Amino acid sequence: RDELPRLLDDGHGVLEMPSGTGKTISLLSLIVAYQRAFPLEVTKLIYCSRTVPEIEKVVEELRKLMEFYSKQTRESNNFLALALSSRRNLCIHPEVSSLRFGKEVDGKCHSLTASYIRAQHHSNPSFPVCQFYEEFDAVGRQVPLPAGIYNLDDLKDFGRRKGWCPYYLILHANIVVYSYHYLLDPKIADLVSKELAKKSVVVFDEAHNIDNVCIDSMSVNITRRTLDHCQNNVDTLHNTIHKIKETDAAKLKEEYRRLVEGLKEANVARETDVYLSNPVLPDEILQEAVPGTIRTAEHFVGFLRRFLEYLKSRLRVQHVIQESAPQFLKDIYDKVCIDRKPLRFCAERLQSLLRTLEITDIADFSAATLISNFATLVSTYSQGFTIIIEPFEDRTPTIANPVLHFSCMDPSIAIKPVFQRFQSVIITSGTLSPLDIYPRILDFHPVTMASFTMTLARTCLCPLIVGRGNDQVALSSKFETREDFAVIRNYGNLLMEMSAIVPDGIVAFFTSYVYMENIVASWYEQGILENIQRNKLIFIETQDAAETSMALEKYQEACENGRGAILLSVARGKVSEGIDFVHHFGRAVIMFGVPYVYTQSRILKARLEYLRDQFQIRENDFLTFDAMRHAAQCVGRAIRGKTDYGLMIFADKRYARADKRGKLPRWIQEHITDGSLNLTVDEAVQLSKHFLRQMAQPFRQEDQLGLSLLTLEQLESEEMLQKIAQVAHQT
Amino acid sequence: MASLSEEVLLVVKKVRQRKQDGTLYLMAERIAWGPEGKDRFTVSHLYADIRCQKISPDGKAKVQLQLVLHSGESTTFHFANESTALKDREAAKELLQQLLPKFKKKANKELEEKNRMLQEDPVLFQLYKDLVVSQVISAEEFWANRLGGVTNTDPAQYKYKQEVGISGAFLADIRPQTDGCNGLRYNLTADIIESIFRTYPAVKQKYNENVPHNLTEKEFWTRFFQSHYFHRDRINTGTQDIFSECAKQDEKGLKSMVVQGVKNPLVDLLSLEDKTLDEGYGVCGAQPSTSNSNRTVKESSNYAIIKRFNHHSAMVLAAGSRKGETPTDQASETSSTDGNSRDSDFFQPPVKKVKLQEEYEDLQQENRPKTVPLNLKKSDRYAHGPVPLQSQQYTTSQDIINSVNYIQHEMANYKPNLTQVLSSTVATSAISALSPGGVLMQAGAQQAINQMVPSEVQGELKHLYVAAGELLRHFWSCFPVNTPFLEEKVIKMKSNLERFQLTKLRPFQEKIQRQYLSTNVILLFSQWLRDWCW
Repeated sequence: RDELPRLLDDGHGVLEMPSGTGKTISLLSLIVAYQRAFPLEVTKLIYCSRTVPEIEKVVEELRKLMEFYSKQTRESNNFLALALSSRRNLCIHPEVSSLRFGKEVDGKCHSLTASYIRAQHHSNPSFPVCQFYEEFDAVGRQVPLPAGIYNLDDLKDFGRRKGWCPYYLILHANIVVYSYHYLLDPKIADLVSKELAKKSVVVFDEAHNIDNVCIDSMSVNITRRTLDHCQNNVDTLHNTIHKIKETDAAKLKEEYRRLVEGLKEANVARETDVYLSNPVLPDEILQEAVPGTIRTAEHFVGFLRRFLEYLKSRLRVQHVIQESAPQFLKDIYDKVCIDRKPLRFCAERLQSLLRTLEITDIADFSAATLISNFATLVSTYSQGFTIIIEPFEDRTPTIANPVLHFSCMDPSIAIKPVFQRFQSVIITSGTLSPLDIYPRILDFHPVTMASFTMTLARTCLCPLIVGRGNDQVALSSKFETREDFAVIRNYGNLLMEMSAIVPDGIVAFFTSYVYMENIVASWYEQGILENIQRNKLIFIETQDAAETSMALEKYQEACENGRGAILLSVARGKVSEGIDFVHHFGRAVIMFGVPYVYTQSRILKARLEYLRDQFQIRENDFLTFDAMRHAAQCVGRAIRGKTDYGLMIFADKRYARADKRGKLPRWIQEHITDGSLNLTVDEAVQLSKHFLRQMAQPFRQEDQLGLSLLTLEQLESEEMLQKIAQVAHQT
Repeated sequence: MASLSEEVLLVVKKVRQRKQDGTLYLMAERIAWGPEGKDRFTVSHLYADIRCQKISPDGKAKVQLQLVLHSGESTTFHFANESTALKDREAAKELLQQLLPKFKKKANKELEEKNRMLQEDPVLFQLYKDLVVSQVISAEEFWANRLGGVTNTDPAQYKYKQEVGISGAFLADIRPQTDGCNGLRYNLTADIIESIFRTYPAVKQKYNENVPHNLTEKEFWTRFFQSHYFHRDRINTGTQDIFSECAKQDEKGLKSMVVQGVKNPLVDLLSLEDKTLDEGYGVCGAQPSTSNSNRTVKESSNYAIIKRFNHHSAMVLAAGSRKGETPTDQASETSSTDGNSRDSDFFQPPVKKVKLQEEYEDLQQENRPKTVPLNLKKSDRYAHGPVPLQSQQYTTSQDIINSVNYIQHEMANYKPNLTQVLSSTVATSAISALSPGGVLMQAGAQQAINQMVPSEVQGELKHLYVAAGELLRHFWSCFPVNTPFLEEKVIKMKSNLERFQLTKLRPFQEKIQRQYLSTNVILLFSQWLRDWCW
């Protein structure tokens, strides 16, 4: 890992490194070293990862690194590093933290800490507030957090000891580790890394899906139910305003005055009222004043009502409509005379109103918030978005279920502020191939792009492409043959044979839930599942996350106690994205078919069109790229380090084609031999047996010395330096 | 009648045993049979002695009931009353079925204990075969000081014998066979029933409720296999099915498992994401709705299959680990309930930390003292142990140098004395004696004896060795001989030993002699035997 290029000076980079080879630690140690050497050049490291366990892992790595530093230098360093997460993971309030869902926790916290609640508490001490926040506000704000490494649990611990709320302990840390949603939201990003932003280094780990995250963060769907809820919300608002007008008219006047002065003013010192809002909203509007038409509360409610009626009329369509944002704006102006400018301020105006009306349960107003966010987005961005109105689902054309999709097609919109704000952004993951497509779709110019492979003392991964069944039937999940019984039977055979020879855990991925359900049903009818059960227990992922978690835990238990199990799962599902199958939890991964995205969706079609027009990326290239990155993600779950080993079985003949194979990460590609391109099930079984038998031999330190493990002397030796230089040249 | 005081539970007339007509009595503690016209029982078994009962298949001409005893013997009763034979047999069977389990528990603990010991210890079993079955010593003598040892050892050690898990495919093993016409036959064994009960406690409960009051066993299982419960891919519709309740219970169990959530935070998909997109945000175009109303019949049946497999696997897994885990489970539960539940995440981190910290062993510095791996060049030397004499004397390097000098000196001054050499014949014989196969090299050949002798002979020898050791142990345990009882025993043991030599060693020795020329092994052995005795 010594060959990591120096890209911290300035500029962005894309790095692909196989998982489990110390990607995190090498990046961390490099950046920390740089930070120590040039404390003025790089002030802050923002490390973004995807899931909570991954975030915690990063912090643990960092802790080790710091321990090593203090051991080597024999002095305690004053680094402060901490992990950040949502309130749900950090709250220590006994009542609030017992809630299970993030939204509930946010809502409850808000109802205890909002500024007006606290004001009320001042006048009436029996009014409930969060004592932890009060304590923090009174004492903790001035006291800096002692230097050290804080994981989520450490923060909670610290908070409990001091009686301070850990969520608001966000201070000036040298290293911040959090989920990348936080960075993509400009408001939160501001809060965390105020004026020092320019000299920060940002690392996006596990970033292979970053474009989808960007797109998700800016897309909105509106159904008839949303509109109904919103209607209720608007009515509630109306009533509340009436009531307040009778009792406390001054409050509304005060709000009006503030709005005249500008939203920015209104936002000062209101950290508790800011919470991670869903779509990414542009922050320029914070600089401007709210237009006059929606300044008074009644006017705004009336405005919302008109907008709502307009949307309702739009949903009463009989056929599919697709239009761009400007078209939509023109139409709305023609029909109900709503201008672009007030629409843009819709979201902020609603938030301000909710604050003024002292509505505690923000979660109740999610529908209204959604509509207003949509209004803001549609009026802000003229490019890169599309509006699709579908009167019914494709599968059920008789049931009217109109949906308005406002979908983002350009991931660079959401991530652009990040690239602009920070001096260097590093995007990294185990599977980023082909590398050149990421800069194109995210619209930035990387200084470095590199794909590293593993230096292995033994070939611990064994990718096999199974293209035929024993009866020579071509295996493929493509549309024409997916109902074919011969294919399904052969897939079943493959799993059955593998279950007999692979020890402990096997994970099998299907291309979609529907496909998996069908296959499981026909395996059940053919008795294949029964035969598999003789060898291993079967667990199946469902669309219900709680149920799947249980299945997953049982699966691990079964692997742990030696019974062995099979997990049937879905590519693009939750399991394929966030769960690692280390060591015996996954000795083999079988990928049934190529996980193409559902191509008939209009949203996808629109996005493909946009990609073709804007970035000159052909539809097929993108689809294959997308399918292959998911396939690589799935099979990559099994190998989490050099001591790990696992089979990777691609059960589809299309994987053998150069255009598919070439899009796999280099560290997988280089182990695919010409001999393993189009195997039958039997051949694959033979190869696997051989591989597993070899891998099961004890793997000792001596075997790795000089190859994947270097002693200090070896590292300094001339010969090894040459070798490293040579390897570095190749990449 | 011999035992009028006993309570007679059932009397069946016209029962044949050994071609003799008679009457079968089932009493409170034993089953007995007496021939017709006589007032005594020729057959009488305590229930505790009965291991199991077997009945003849339904279609057979003879209606029979067989009792198998723990001792391995069996007694067959033939129900000969033409009109009511079947009914009689059923009555006897049902009664026995209820009685036997009661006595099972009381059944000879010792016998079971012995049985278990023999099953678990193959060496002991072989010894038992060698000594008791071949009647060198009696069974009582064999067990006399074995069982004493048993009670001394920690009883907990074998109480926690490893539970046998359940095969994941036990339902698949019940292969239905068509019986020609429009029927299916399921073959159930006791194992499968046990598996079903352990995996699905709800079914067991149903069984206890309904059998034998409402349904016979056979009917119960017939219904089971017909039920929607067994074929879970069909959608549950009927409520008349007694198993529909089981299905509901399972559903509930599954739900509670889901609600409980998972202990391992790393697999909890719900808390994986730091921030989930709210309803209405994000691209969710292709996601089909999960509500049941939109599902077609086929889809929901597919979904049911998936659910069933998850549940089945979870239950099998739980059944396998249930027994062993219950005490620890309770312990952990109490510890978490008496502490405040909020504090529970104080306890949680260690597990989590361990999972989070991936350690690479090869990067750890080895702190413990370096151990030298045992590298044997000549493993037989290691196995034979040190040679006692010479190893005591060490020579210093100075000694060696001196002696080398001395030898050099000698060699330099060496003058052959040709008048005093050996004659050529003597020299040849000496050489032949020293070459492999020669007289003096016998000792060297002995080393290879484990290659020369086939493994079964070696095994036999081993058994003999162990058996002889056992006998000798008995023999020596009598010393010092200070009671008449011991004296008697010594004499008996001596005769036992002699008999052992006669019946076991001799034939073996002869066999070896017949097959192999080198007899020194067995010679050594008998010599060793003699040495030990006297």
